[in-house]
Amino acid sequence: MIKIEGVTRNYKTGETEVKALRGIDLDVNDGEFLSIAGPSGSGKTTLLNLIGCIDSLDDGEITIDGVPVSRMDKHAKTTYRRENLGFIFQTYNLIPVLTAFENVSFVLSILGVPQGELSERTYRILREVGLEGMEHRRPDKLSGGQQQRIAIARALVKQPKIVLADEPTANLDSKTGEEILQLMKQMNRTYNTTFIFSTHDKMVMEYASRLVLLHDGEIASDTRRE
Amino acid sequence: MKFIIRLAFQNLTRYKRRTIITSFAIAVGLMLFIFVDSMLQGAEKESELNLKRYETSYLRILHDEYWDNRLMRPLDLSIENPDLILADLESAGYTATKRITFTADMILNSADFPEEGNLSVSVQAVDVERDNAVFDFEGTLVEGRFAQKGADEVVIGSWFAEDIKAEVGYYISLITRGNGGFYEVMDLEIVGIVNCPNPNVNRTLLMMPFDTADYYLGMDGAATEIDITLSERSDLNSEAENVKGIVSGYSVLTWRDLARDYLALAEAKRGGTGTILFLVFIIAAVGISNTMLMAMWERTRELGMMRSLGMKDSSIRMAFILEAGGIGLIGAVIGTALGCLANLWLVNYGIDFGFITRDMDIGYRVATVMKGIWSVKTIVTSLVSGVLLSMIVAYLPTRKALKMDIPSCLHHQ
Repeated sequence: MIKIEGVTRNYKTGETEVKALRGIDLDVNDGEFLSIAGPSGSGKTTLLNLIGCIDSLDDGEITIDGVPVSRMDKHAKTTYRRENLGFIFQTYNLIPVLTAFENVSFVLSILGVPQGELSERTYRILREVGLEGMEHRRPDKLSGGQQQRIAIARALVKQPKIVLADEPTANLDSKTGEEILQLMKQMNRTYNTTFIFSTHDKMVMEYASRLVLLHDGEIASDTRRE
Repeated sequence: MKFIIRLAFQNLTRYKRRTIITSFAIAVGLMLFIFVDSMLQGAEKESELNLKRYETSYLRILHDEYWDNRLMRPLDLSIENPDLILADLESAGYTATKRITFTADMILNSADFPEEGNLSVSVQAVDVERDNAVFDFEGTLVEGRFAQKGADEVVIGSWFAEDIKAEVGYYISLITRGNGGFYEVMDLEIVGIVNCPNPNVNRTLLMMPFDTADYYLGMDGAATEIDITLSERSDLNSEAENVKGIVSGYSVLTWRDLARDYLALAEAKRGGTGTILFLVFIIAAVGISNTMLMAMWERTRELGMMRSLGMKDSSIRMAFILEAGGIGLIGAVIGTALGCLANLWLVNYGIDFGFITRDMDIGYRVATVMKGIWSVKTIVTSLVSGVLLSMIVAYLPTRKALKMDIPSCLHHQ
C-alpha cells in the first residue's frame, strides 16, 4: 500500500517559485489501476516522480508497504527502484541499439538474475505482451505500439509491486492506445501489480478503476469505479 | 557487467560515422607518435654510435686537470708516456690509441683557395697505425688517402673541404703554440677528404699524423688523450673502473661524460618533441571528449530511463567509459598498425635530412638519413595510451550528465 501524507513540492524557475504539489494526501491500495489526471502543470508528473522515488519532496512523507521511501538517500532509492518499481514512459525510452529481448532483459541483468532464468522470464513476458517472434528485432523495426509493448514488458519483467506510467498512450493512435490499455489491465489482473498513470487521455481515465483529478497541485476529486 | 560491455559495444555502432571520425583522430595521433618517436630514437641511437665511432670513443684517459681546462686544449696537461699505458692496456685486452688535440689558426692562401683568410680550428693528431682500430674512419675516404706517419699531411672533413673549397693537393698553414708556449707554423698538404656519418666530423675534421704534431709541438712523445674502444655490450662504468685501476693518476671518462653537452641537448629535444606529441594527444582527447559529450547529450533521456529502473550511476558511467575505451581501442589498433607500416618504411629507408644537416647543426650526429628503430615499448605505449586516454577523457562528460536529476533527464529534449 502506498501512503502519501501532506506532500509538498516546490520548484524554482529562475526567481519564481512554482508550487507543484500543495499538501497531497492519498492512499493507493495494492493492485489498483489508478489514473492521475489533470491539466498541464497540475502536478501529476511530479506526484508520479515522487512515488517513483526519482524526485525529492519538500514536505510530507510517502511510505510504500510501510517503508518511508521519501526519507531514503539517493543510493537507497536507486536500490528500491531497482527491486520494486517499474516505469513506462510516454516516449518508450528504449535503447535503440538493443533488441527487444535485450531491452527487457537488462532489467533482470542489473538485478543479478542468472542467465537461464533471465532468458526464460524475458521470453515469457514478451510472449505475454504479444511480441513472440519479434524478440530479436530492434525498436526501429517495430511500430509505436509494439515499442510501447516492449516498455510494458520491461516494466513488468521483474514483477514489481508498482508500475508507474507517465502518459503511456500519448504517442499512440487511439486504437493502439486502447490495445496497450487492455494489455496493462490484463497485466494488472494477472500479477496484481499496482498501476499508476498520469494522463490527459480520456480513454485512459475510462479504463482506470480510480481516477484522481489534480488541479494546481491539489486533489480536486478522487473517484473510484468498477 | 556482461550487459554493460554489450551496451558499450553496441553503442559504438550507433553513430558509426562519429565513431570512425573520432577513432581516426586517435589513429592519426598514435601513428604520428610511433613515427616521430621511432625517428627520434633512431636518431639518438645513431648519434650515440657516431659519437663513439668518430668523436669520443668509448673511454678516454686524460690528465687529471685536462677536463676542467678542455676549452683551452692545454698541451702541458698531457699524458707523458702514452706508449707505456697503451702497452698496459693492450696486455689487459683493451684496444686503444693516443691522440694530441690542439687548436690552431688555419691560414688560407689565395694561391690555392678562392679567398685569403684564417679560421680557428681544432686539430686531431692521430697515431696512423692504431687510430682506425679505435675510431671508424676506414672506408670514409671519398678522395685521396690517409696521412702517412711522419709526413706533413692532413686529412680533412668533406663539408669542411667544400666550405673552404679545398681539394686534395692543396696546402694549408696552421699557426699554433707548441708545448711551452712557443709559436709554430705547419704547412700541411691535404692528402685526403673523408665523409663519415657524423656531420660534426665532416664539418670540422682536420686529422694529421701524431708524430708530425709531436715534432712541431714539442710534445716529447706525450699525448693529450688515450682513446679506448669497447664492444657495444660492455658495461661502461665497470670498464671505466677497470681502466682506472690500470692507469692510476689519470682521469678515465666515459663517452657519456665526454658527450654530456650532446646528451643534454638530446634530452631537451626529447622534452620538446614530447610536448608536440602531448599536443597531438590533446587534440585526440578533445575529439573523444566531444564525442562522448554529444553522446551523453543525445542519450540523456536514455540515461534517465536507466537510472529510473535502478541502474547504478557507477554502472552507467562504466558503460560510457567502456564505449570511449572501445573508440580508443579502434583508434589505437588502426593507429598502431598505420604507425608500424610507416615505421617499416622509416626503418628501411629513412628520411634524408641532408638538406638541413649540411648547413645547420641540428644537434644529432646523423649526417643525412635518419632511420627509425623498432621499439616494443613505443608500440605497447601507443596501444595502451590510446585506450586509457579515451577512457579517462570520457569520465568528465559522464560525470556531468549523471549530475542531472532523473526527472530533468527524462524530460530532456
